[in-house]
Amino acid sequence: MGMAMADQPAWQSVDPKLLEILVCPVTHETLSYDRERQELVAVKARLAYPIRDGIPIMLREEARHLDEPAPPAGT
Amino acid sequence: MKNVIGGALSKLDKQSVVTAYRRQAPIYDIVFGVLLHPGRIGTVKLINQTAQGRVLEVGVGTGLSLPRYRKDLRIVGIDISDDMLRLARQRTREKRLGNVEALLNMDAEQLQFDDNSFDTVAAMYVASVVPHPDRLMREMQRVCKPGGDIFIVNHFAEDGGLRGTIERRMAALSHKLGWRPDFKLAPFMAHGTLEILARYREPPLGLFTILHCRNEKPAAVAAEQEAAAD
Repeated sequence: MGMAMADQPAWQSVDPKLLEILVCPVTHETLSYDRERQELVAVKARLAYPIRDGIPIMLREEARHLDEPAPPAGT
Repeated sequence: MKNVIGGALSKLDKQSVVTAYRRQAPIYDIVFGVLLHPGRIGTVKLINQTAQGRVLEVGVGTGLSLPRYRKDLRIVGIDISDDMLRLARQRTREKRLGNVEALLNMDAEQLQFDDNSFDTVAAMYVASVVPHPDRLMREMQRVCKPGGDIFIVNHFAEDGGLRGTIERRMAALSHKLGWRPDFKLAPFMAHGTLEILARYREPPLGLFTILHCRNEKPAAVAAEQEAAAD
């Protein structure tokens, strides 16, 4: 009972309430969630923070610059 | 516990301790896990007594404390180690902790939360580990609401007595944990404007202190943040 629901990853969609409090440390802008790429995007800062295994990696050195192409899956 | 620490260090110089670690690292990890656990549990108990709304746990690690939070609180955990966070997330899923809102890999000196986002902020063994404790203090005060609760769990150095002796012996081990054994309370608190409401000594041996503080934001800073938010 409820097995399928238990397997549903909590981060399949980002909690909108969390997006309300998350900001880019540089520009203080709010972030938007890119479901396809599993990234949290700061548009003004031109940075995308990856979400790996359901954990947002909010470290600048791990962020992708939006001018760089997203790394292809599986590499 | 005392025998493990005292015995190991009285016989070995610093260099051989490093070698011993290499051999016994898994055991020491367990020992220190046990050392740090009571402080975490004690803090969550205190939080559960009074907290409302959203709680930020800085240094959530493998999430040992997460199952103990009141179910109506909303918990956000951050840590600098993504390996530990993965274990925390696994724990959250297995125990179906619906009150854990998010686990994020983040630098405690540069929090990526808006001002006044949390009713309660708890720093678990973080203060003496971060390179710039002043930045940690500033960031905790910034993301915590004015008048909100800030809990700091840490080892604070004291001079003399039994604790002084133990601390000196632990000094050689401290690099393993990344501790600064000479980390003192007063200089750290001087970085911020917290009002200490209560102090608790935690087992083992009262080596660790839980500080319960009120976030007294200076009016000027609060006004500045209000203006910036508009």
